[in-house]
Amino acid sequence: MPGALLLVQAAVDSLPAYREFPGIGSRAAVWITAEVHLMFAAFVLGVPMFAVVAEAIGIFGKDERYDRLAKEFTRLLLVAYSATAIWGAMLTMALITLYPRFMSYLTAVFGPSMWLYAALFLFESFTLYLYYYGWERWKVGRAKWSHWGLGILLNVWGTIVMFIANSWLTFMMSPPASVTPDTSPTAIALWVAITNATWMPINVHRLIANVVFGGAIVAAYASYRFLAATSDEERAHYDWMGYVGNFIAIAALIVLPFAGYWLGREIYQYDQSMGITMMGGFMSWLWVIQAFLIAVLFLAGNYYLWVGMGRIPGAERFRPYTKWLLAVLVVGALVWGTPHTMIASSKEIAAMGGSHHPFLGVLGVMSAKNTAVNLMILTTFLSFLLYRRANKRPVVAWARTGTLVQGGMFAAAAGVVLFFGIRGYFVEAIVRIGYSVYQVGAVLACIVSVTVIDVMLSRGAESRGAIRWGKMPARSQYALFVLAVTFTWLMGLMGFARSGIRQHWHVWQVMRDTSQSAATPALGYAAQMISVCVLIFLALVGFVFWLGGLAEKSTFVSTGNGEGSHVGH
Amino acid sequence: MWGTNLRILGVVLGTLAVYTLIANAIPQVQSEVPRALTLGADVTPEQLVAAGQQVYEGGGGCTACHGLGTRAPNLLTDEGGMGPIGARCGRREPGKDCKQYLFESLDAPAAYVVTGYQPIMPVMTRQLSPQQIWAVVAFLESQGGTVDVSASDIPAPTAGPTAGASPGNAVGSLANGSTDPTAIINAAGCLGCHKLNGTGGAIGPDLTHLGARRRPESIRAKILDPASSIARGYEQVAGVMPKTFGTMLSAAQLEALVRFLAARQ
Repeated sequence: MPGALLLVQAAVDSLPAYREFPGIGSRAAVWITAEVHLMFAAFVLGVPMFAVVAEAIGIFGKDERYDRLAKEFTRLLLVAYSATAIWGAMLTMALITLYPRFMSYLTAVFGPSMWLYAALFLFESFTLYLYYYGWERWKVGRAKWSHWGLGILLNVWGTIVMFIANSWLTFMMSPPASVTPDTSPTAIALWVAITNATWMPINVHRLIANVVFGGAIVAAYASYRFLAATSDEERAHYDWMGYVGNFIAIAALIVLPFAGYWLGREIYQYDQSMGITMMGGFMSWLWVIQAFLIAVLFLAGNYYLWVGMGRIPGAERFRPYTKWLLAVLVVGALVWGTPHTMIASSKEIAAMGGSHHPFLGVLGVMSAKNTAVNLMILTTFLSFLLYRRANKRPVVAWARTGTLVQGGMFAAAAGVVLFFGIRGYFVEAIVRIGYSVYQVGAVLACIVSVTVIDVMLSRGAESRGAIRWGKMPARSQYALFVLAVTFTWLMGLMGFARSGIRQHWHVWQVMRDTSQSAATPALGYAAQMISVCVLIFLALVGFVFWLGGLAEKSTFVSTGNGEGSHVGH
Repeated sequence: MWGTNLRILGVVLGTLAVYTLIANAIPQVQSEVPRALTLGADVTPEQLVAAGQQVYEGGGGCTACHGLGTRAPNLLTDEGGMGPIGARCGRREPGKDCKQYLFESLDAPAAYVVTGYQPIMPVMTRQLSPQQIWAVVAFLESQGGTVDVSASDIPAPTAGPTAGASPGNAVGSLANGSTDPTAIINAAGCLGCHKLNGTGGAIGPDLTHLGARRRPESIRAKILDPASSIARGYEQVAGVMPKTFGTMLSAAQLEALVRFLAARQ
């Protein structure tokens, strides 16, 4: 036996460090398989979260529309699940064959967690099958509660699976300080490797981002079905589904920057030089592109809401405000996208007259950017509030006071954001960083308080008329496609940022990348790779949804009364 | 239906095209891998400077901070009225000439943090080969000063990894192998961050009464693995202390240092 072990060890030692993938190269092969796998994984982890929430709304609110919606979400999940597994297998094969020595290192550290990952994936698959195929069987009474429990269990398995995979990639970014190039991988304690500095921030960030992503893809699916609908009832059903998907995506998007700040702070605390590489080194232009993409998300999301108000009786009274909301969003996006600290040649520095642009440099600092993004979030929330209030006439005695208090809360939150934004120019950097907490706190407090007041305000409210679901112009549905493409592209971009800050290290400052393509590419090349990945993903998503449609028709069936009841078999 | 499908395809492809074009229209900066540098025994100062410039502007990643005016001192232009780095390096540390100062600030940057800046610079001798390090020193000297780096300063290339391969990192080479704790402390640059008897920096904890706070085992562990424990109030600078002392000190030097510090009651 010892002899056999020695043979195995000798085989590992004699492994080539790298093998080349024909045509596109190893890096591109792993990039594409990893990215497409991650996109599918994000979808199949995000959708169960709001499928379970939708089912709960159906149970507690006794609204069967939500139960049907949850089932339709899950049906999308079922067909996407096998694609996730296939791309996961392709990624594993690519890594084992193209980066054998690195994978040997990683498996030596994380072996047991990889076995657990496989086992949990199995549990997750069977839970999903039970959840979907048992939908009609366990539909009422106590059985329905058990069915809902299955949905929760599905989320638990999925979340643990993601946390395990996150530990591998975050270890590559931020190995514990005790791990040096001389540390034997077998001597690294598994739990220490898992609980590295960026593990939990990535877990939380991905958890929220998956909800955003899942919502956007579901909304795009619904918009496609809306455009392809052959009856008003069907159009109404998918209009409503698109609205719910978009609402989930935008609502979760509002929280996402806060998780991003936490991750960024942890990266800086772990290794400032890594943080600087990310924010101000060769990646500095990436954040300008990110700002542009998020501006598109805010604008498209708000545009969809504004167009959607056209189908709500009573919404006309809010239309004059739309141009002001648009102005805040555009100005905010311009400020957020203003570059500040860029790598510049001495000629460029001389042309600017200093290391920063004399005018734009003022707008490019974090004080201005934080102020801009917080005001954009407040504006988006205001758009949603107007949408929600459009066809309601409150009847509670304190309706006017309540509305005034809500207005005051908006003004106070905007005031706090502006005050700390301006004051940030006159204090030390370390104090200024702390101000972002006050700004975020004011915005979150406003969102929570205004929502609570609004829910109470709406109790027993008179209706100005029912929402005319399905009466949406086609252009609003294309906005949902832009949102889905942008979310997917943004996910690819942020993946590049996270992975790229390791530069020429497989494991940061522990294991060097000595392959031919160890240099971290510029943004132009990365953008081409991301676009290819997005295209593959969306093409496959379209294909699997079509495939799913062949096996089973939509949950929508006509009730024959022309009211679009959204219910089906 | 085909019309709808084509319009959707157009929206998807159009959106992707816009993002890809914008990302390709902006300045393209690739993060280069520090390339192996072979310098012969007859290398000229001009060749060293040219090689150093390539490292400085490329794989060394120096321009990510130096030259931006906020994160790190300007090196190629004036800083505080003292001229570029080649003109001021000889006056930065008493008793150290330009070449020695530049090398040591690349090898132990935390010990030479310029007032007003944070200790954020990575240990460059872990990132670059000795050849690259000395080429960078020559390039920086050429910025307003005289290049006196020569082939004799550069150790012969080794087949092993470049990390930790600088002369200052060889086992037991600190203070020429001396076991005098004061010599070790000076050579290791401890006072760049720590105070001892009122002298030194304030980035890390004061070592004057270290023996009253830590047992010898704890001091030894801290030197070998700085992350083993972080002193209260210094969490913000965790990770700044180099992890390389274990490979730089001989066993006799380590024990001499531990005994010396443990006796500071």
